[in-house]
Amino acid sequence: MNFINTIKNFFINWFADIESSFIKTFIREDRWLQLLKGLGVTLQITVFAAILGIIIGFIIAAVRSTYDRNLADKKCRNFGDYLLKFFNAICNIYLTVIRGTPVVIQLMIIHFIVLASVRNGIYAAIFAFGINSGAYVAEIVRSGIMSIDKGQFEAGRSLGFNYLQTMWHIIIPQAFKNILPALGNEFIVLIKETSVAGYVALKDITYVGNLIRSRTYEAFFPLITVAVIYLIIVMLLSYFLKKLERRLRNSDH
Amino acid sequence: MTTNETLIKVENLQKSFDKVDVLKGINIEIKKGEVIVIIGPSGCGKSTFLRTLNLLEEPTGGSIHFEGTDITNPDTNINLHRQKIGMVFQQFNLFPHMTVLKNMTIAPMKLLNLSKAEAEERAIKLLERVGLADRANSYPSQLSGGQKQRVAIVRALCMQPEVMLFDEPTSALDPEMVGEVLEVMKALAEDGMTMAVVTHEMGFAREVADRVIFIDQGIIMEEGAPEEVFSNPKSPRLKDFLSKVII
Repeated sequence: MNFINTIKNFFINWFADIESSFIKTFIREDRWLQLLKGLGVTLQITVFAAILGIIIGFIIAAVRSTYDRNLADKKCRNFGDYLLKFFNAICNIYLTVIRGTPVVIQLMIIHFIVLASVRNGIYAAIFAFGINSGAYVAEIVRSGIMSIDKGQFEAGRSLGFNYLQTMWHIIIPQAFKNILPALGNEFIVLIKETSVAGYVALKDITYVGNLIRSRTYEAFFPLITVAVIYLIIVMLLSYFLKKLERRLRNSDH
Repeated sequence: MTTNETLIKVENLQKSFDKVDVLKGINIEIKKGEVIVIIGPSGCGKSTFLRTLNLLEEPTGGSIHFEGTDITNPDTNINLHRQKIGMVFQQFNLFPHMTVLKNMTIAPMKLLNLSKAEAEERAIKLLERVGLADRANSYPSQLSGGQKQRVAIVRALCMQPEVMLFDEPTSALDPEMVGEVLEVMKALAEDGMTMAVVTHEMGFAREVADRVIFIDQGIIMEEGAPEEVFSNPKSPRLKDFLSKVII
């Protein structure tokens, strides 16, 4: 009898512990609301940084692949060539610096030095993660453009399309289809990278989770909750990317 | 069909890659309505020559006048001239992400400002001519090689070009598909289209060409009417070449 009682008590205590942890983590001081707001901050940074990253990435990829295709092993002949060479060099410096330093450092440099006069860290975060992501997107897009057969380019030009029209109507749509998995991967990485936004006093989901942990001395629920939320976002994103990929694939039978 | 009106005039055309001289001074006039076939051993520069005619390869010397305009002049808007110079490639180069119809209508719609309906009407008419009207909504990957090349030809024709350039149009085809593509080209020649064709199909050259050009070592070694070139070759290089190819 004694033995059964012990086990019974164990479970009663266990459930009571869980209940109290749960209440401390989510209910008290409206902490669920803090977590929700944290999620909002994370999503806000990710979405705007992704948009910025795509814009920067495509521009840089356009400059770099134009250079690779037309000028890489030739001499400059006119002003346009020199301009392209100059922009290509700038892009190279950008890629080297951004890919060569940790994103946390970039984030802090932008927040505490470049945008020192702006109080709200969210702008620094969007810029930092956008600029950082742009470097990776640029290389993904460039590899996509370079993977398209030269004949496609020649066919476009021979019909009378100029360089940009050929890029826009013929090369980019094909390249986009090829790079979609890699691009999706980059955005999955981006979502998770924003977890260091707490370094510039942003209350993103990771920061809130850690804050709750330190206030309540409960590690399990806050941290696992944060992990599960990231996991769900990433799974949702993967699902939609897969759907998009399938839709774009309808031209290869 | 050959007229007296000069469409393309090439003078002392040169092209070198790094230090290799591929074209060493080509002179030729192509009349409106004329069909010229360019033959020669591989690596002789015949494809390079054809590709300089719409500046896919930029010449390193000499000039090309198209309809009286020097297109090698950097101030010339080459894109406008390319609209009138159709090109067909060995590897077809259809746009794989577009249907056959879209392949054919995108350039007329974007460059000639045709409405979708006008462009599609034009495309369907051309597809009917080459017997592919039922494939309008297929994607290139669903077509055979011969069908792809026929679509590539009508895609270029959709721009209503003044001249058509063919760069070994049958070399990438299975043997049983060569005929259907040559038929289309022959019909086009009979319609009076100006054509410049690089090919190894000597039968086609003999039958359809107004003039055969033999290029070797970067220059035009010999040229003339097909019967003359094939039956009575003058230079030893051409004799040697003809002895090696099946006519």
